[in-house]
Amino acid sequence: MASADGGAYSYSLTVFSPSGKLVQIEHALAAVSQGTTSLGIKASNGIVIATEKKSSSILIDDSMIEKVAVICPNIGIVYSGMGPDFRVLIARARKSAQAYWKVYGEYPPTKVLTQEIATVMQQATQSGGVRPFGVSLLVAGWDIHRGPSLYQVDPSGSFWAWKASAIGKNMINAKTFLEKRYNDDISLEDAIHTALLTLKEGFEGQMTEKTIEIGVITVPTIEELEAGKEGGESGRPRPTFRKLTEEEVKDYLAL
Amino acid sequence: MSVMEYNGGSVIAMVGKDCVAIASDLRLGNQALGITSNFQRVFPVTNRLYIGLPGLGTDVTTLRERFRYRVNMYTIKEERDIQPETFAHLVSSTLYEHRFGPYFIEPVIAGLSKAPSGGFKPFIAATDLIGCLNFAKDFVVAGTASAKLFGVAEGLWEPDLEPEDLFETISQTLLNAVDRDAFSGWGAVVHVITKDQVVTRTLKGRMD
Amino acid sequence: METSFALTGKGYVIIAADTTAARSIVKMKVDEDKIKELSSHLLMSYSGEPGDTIQFAEYVERNIRLYQIRNLYPLRPAAAAAWIRRSLAESLRSRHPYSVNLLLGGYDIADHKPNLYWIDYLGTVVELPFAAHGYGSYFALSLLDRYHNPEASLEEGLATLKRCIEEVAKRLIVSPDRFKVKVVDKDGTREVEL
Repeated sequence: MASADGGAYSYSLTVFSPSGKLVQIEHALAAVSQGTTSLGIKASNGIVIATEKKSSSILIDDSMIEKVAVICPNIGIVYSGMGPDFRVLIARARKSAQAYWKVYGEYPPTKVLTQEIATVMQQATQSGGVRPFGVSLLVAGWDIHRGPSLYQVDPSGSFWAWKASAIGKNMINAKTFLEKRYNDDISLEDAIHTALLTLKEGFEGQMTEKTIEIGVITVPTIEELEAGKEGGESGRPRPTFRKLTEEEVKDYLAL
Repeated sequence: MSVMEYNGGSVIAMVGKDCVAIASDLRLGNQALGITSNFQRVFPVTNRLYIGLPGLGTDVTTLRERFRYRVNMYTIKEERDIQPETFAHLVSSTLYEHRFGPYFIEPVIAGLSKAPSGGFKPFIAATDLIGCLNFAKDFVVAGTASAKLFGVAEGLWEPDLEPEDLFETISQTLLNAVDRDAFSGWGAVVHVITKDQVVTRTLKGRMD
Repeated sequence: METSFALTGKGYVIIAADTTAARSIVKMKVDEDKIKELSSHLLMSYSGEPGDTIQFAEYVERNIRLYQIRNLYPLRPAAAAAWIRRSLAESLRSRHPYSVNLLLGGYDIADHKPNLYWIDYLGTVVELPFAAHGYGSYFALSLLDRYHNPEASLEEGLATLKRCIEEVAKRLIVSPDRFKVKVVDKDGTREVEL
């Protein structure tokens, strides 16, 4: 019963082991820690999220791989763990953001969207016939009420707000590195460089614009906010989250 | 017989200088027969936001309960008060959910919204019974006396009225409009919303 | 035609309802009780579509009783009115709505106040000092405007009610000839003879 693999308790998702563990969730976390490293840093004027994008063969067209995803104009997500599971969560998150927009005429605050994703992930730990999601997420967003915020969501459905965090294969080292490098008034530009430097630790192979993906939140100025939406009242909200282009990534790597 | 005119009642909202006002009559009737002269159809949503629900009496109560529920859930989930623009969309989508079997209410919304710079901006809006939003810069009207309210408001309203003057303007507009409407009247209530307080006054009107 | 009145006074609510059960132009019964005692301090008169009335009144009666059995205390009048209203409002938008008009009179034993609610089949609820349903309302309401006194004793209240009934008897073409009258006050509900 107390065997290393979790014994009889490792198969049923919804049964606690005598020591109070749900071993399937721990296994999911193990799947995450085999995934590629991702990290997020909150700066004084924005947020950066970044990940390494490595393909198993040079024959794969890596322009199709997307590991940093836009959810809505003010929120983006990066993951470590299982790609297919991430895709499902992205679809759910985008739907949820649009549903919110349909009711309230604006996109959800970061916390509300994070909570929504976390609920989906929690439900997968308590429903019959499913397994937990094999991913951890870093959610970066900006909203007028809380400003920029960075959340991490785990397969159990728990989530926390971070100033900086890392998930995946190299998370322990990356976090130690971030702890040394982080300070509260770091600028977005510096944060992007710190992010690249952190990824470089334990990066296998060449770090290029093809093997790195970066997303940033930029905090709008009061003037930009007063100016309202793009194209007037009935226009579109100005995006605060965007992915860096390959050219931009290349420029950051060159410095 | 029109369902929209079965119980009677009218609501108006106006913009002033750093303030808004919303007012309603207090009659509820069964067609021509008056039932009560104390029927409230304007309700607070937050400290700086009110909604008026003219139309069918039963739907006034139902919608007030629905909006109270949805705003309470919003406040708990988002850990903050709902803003007027957001609430207007909530009202609109709630009504449009019932596009093919609507609530017979044409809501009027009035409040102050938080500006990004920290100040407060007057906001008024109205929708039809299926939730088509109308954001106005001066005044909005609804209810059985809406045609008359439009006329009087067009004549009395001017930009940048101070709270006291806005109170006088909206009160006179409402009182004189409902006097020409058989289904509205029997007293009125006026709320003037400024950044630090809401002044509510109950007015006497003609009882015929 | 079906008529019901109700009025509040000092510490009581009186509800009166005619006792005829009609079908088309025929009087089928002249001693029908259309006022239910929902709980120890709650009365409800009902009128409207025959069949719907009894069905809905019994539904309300059983649910109010169920609440009391479950919670060991009865619903207060305001809460009962809200529950009944919601039932009617939901019914209104169903495939077969109840068409029942109600007068709900109660004595709130928590704050020692009489409450009277006018409720129509749409689910419109208004709290009032006096109320009426049916054709009689056109005669009674103006009389009550003139003679109602919220501080009146039970005797004075019953005298005012009598005025209403007499007026209806005098002026309404097809007036009901008998009314059942019930009172609710701090001692509970009881029937009174006029």
